[in-house]
Amino acid sequence: MATSKKSNGRSIPEINQKIKSGDVQVLTAEEMKKLVENSGIEVAYKEVDVVTTGTFGAMCSSGAIINIGHSDPPIKIQRAWINDVEVSHPGAAVDLYIGATQMSETQPFEYGGGHLIEDLIAGKEVEVRATSYGTDCYPRTKLDTVVSKDNLNQFYLLNFRNCYQRYVCATNSRDDIIYTYMGKLLPKFRNATYSGAGSLNPLMNDPDYETIGIGTRIFLGGGQGYVIGEGTQHDPTNRFGTLMVRGDCKQMNPEFIRGGAFTKYGTTLYVGMGIPIPILNEGLAKKTSIRDEEIITEIVDYGVPRRGRPKLGKISYDILKSGTVTINDRTVKVSSLSSLKKAKKIASTLKSWIENGEFYLSAPAETLPIDSVCNVMRQRDDVTFVSSVIHKAVTCGVDEDIKEVAKRIISESINHVVVTDSTGQIKGIVTSWDLTRAVSEGKTKLTDIITKKVFTTKPEETLEAASRKMAAHHISALPVIDREKKVVGLITSEDIAKLRGR
Amino acid sequence: MDRILLRFSEENVEEPITSKVILELGIPMRIVTATINSQGGDILVEVPRIHVNKVVEAFRKKGVVVTFPKLIEVDNDKCFDCGGCFALCPVDAIKYDKDYSIVFDEKTCIGSPCGLCVDACPARAITLVEQQRNNQK
Repeated sequence: MATSKKSNGRSIPEINQKIKSGDVQVLTAEEMKKLVENSGIEVAYKEVDVVTTGTFGAMCSSGAIINIGHSDPPIKIQRAWINDVEVSHPGAAVDLYIGATQMSETQPFEYGGGHLIEDLIAGKEVEVRATSYGTDCYPRTKLDTVVSKDNLNQFYLLNFRNCYQRYVCATNSRDDIIYTYMGKLLPKFRNATYSGAGSLNPLMNDPDYETIGIGTRIFLGGGQGYVIGEGTQHDPTNRFGTLMVRGDCKQMNPEFIRGGAFTKYGTTLYVGMGIPIPILNEGLAKKTSIRDEEIITEIVDYGVPRRGRPKLGKISYDILKSGTVTINDRTVKVSSLSSLKKAKKIASTLKSWIENGEFYLSAPAETLPIDSVCNVMRQRDDVTFVSSVIHKAVTCGVDEDIKEVAKRIISESINHVVVTDSTGQIKGIVTSWDLTRAVSEGKTKLTDIITKKVFTTKPEETLEAASRKMAAHHISALPVIDREKKVVGLITSEDIAKLRGR
Repeated sequence: MDRILLRFSEENVEEPITSKVILELGIPMRIVTATINSQGGDILVEVPRIHVNKVVEAFRKKGVVVTFPKLIEVDNDKCFDCGGCFALCPVDAIKYDKDYSIVFDEKTCIGSPCGLCVDACPARAITLVEQQRNNQK
């Protein structure tokens, strides 16, 4: 009997039967949370067959495989460009892969693979150029043509890492604006950014991968696609799960798939994805009722360009979605980089597809790993950091006598004296050259010869970046400061030369 | 409050026109931005809505070109409501609607002296409207 079956669990074939007969009960993840809050898990489990989720964000590890058909005489493409974006030719003669982050050679940072995929989906004509070395069977060496999606034999999105379960909240400790894949970050923690749909995210609603696996049918870019495996860097152990997906671009709609440009970082593809979660048991009813306040992520300082970026605290998605966060006791605005509006629209579109019998659920052919982690790179080279050549800085106060400073330069046989205040914070730098000039110009006050705007480095910066900084600004030393701007040492071009000559 | 853009030419930029108008009318005005030198330039001012017509007339009488400026243009077809711009706005002119749409308040935006949001938009949907300057260069 149907009622007794319900208490023992629900199956995907049963749900599909209900879709067919028009009796299926579908809620979006947002509606499910409300129902559970008002009526409890038991009622929600009894009443709801499917919960729909959604996310729309920048997903760089995306791209499309296309087959452009054979020309006459035929060509075995060696290198190819579409709309000046180099596309890769990893296989046979006319199969090409458009990578989302590959940038146009004529409009870099503004147009890239992501935009090209969007243009093709929108039905636009694109320019194909290709070169080759010519073979006995593929004699052609040059190609120049125009195609649109109707001319492509296959046009499939093949994304190898999508749909991050959650992501970090980014901010910037530096004194300058930085442009990152987490967007534009103002100096001194003046703003923050985050990504992800929080409680609407597909993987957050099925965190144990009970229903999402290889072969799960999904909403992808406005069409129907499939999960084809776990994504690269899949790390469910730390709640950073990812998916590999595939979908037919010819069904897609630019409303749900867009090229994107991150200033001074590069181009990407914004992907809209929604996954239906069948409520097979009471546990899934509970899991799909997850709320934003239960999803915690970390605030991370992108001002430190290292793999292990400093973590500044924890934060929940409900606070992120409120638009302001507190960093170092100061309240600043936080921007979402993924669209919550589109995420909601995807969840509700998928809901109506299922209700209208246009979308049926599929059981996974194989489950995804639930205990893998993302490991770091095995490195062969030895990267040297500023901390390994740092030495003690000779310092002086702002009010010191110019002669005393000169004496110190002689007695310590150095060229740079770092000017600090009583707390040890950097106020400037004086070099032996500055002193020589002071003598020749008759200046007697230290404050008249101090360079107040000083280029500095930090112990965790790579020596390579520090020497680039010295070369770019034609200077021979960099004071090393900590996060409070206190002087912790000095590095000179001599130190670097010595290390290289070792 | 309404915003009006005052455009001064090389001929009238040396005169204390703004002060004169304020003194004559006794209407307070807030200077939002000013891009001006001896060859002329623009001052963006905020005026109480009920007095706008009077103020505009007074400036025009003194030879100042007055316009109601559009400082920023948002292409809603391009915008996909991510909100990347939101946290960068120093005057809170960018807000989320209830449905998480991004809304630009053009009356609050200060335009080209700022422009912090423009290069942060991954959809390239925001452009600053260059205010037409005098033809001299």
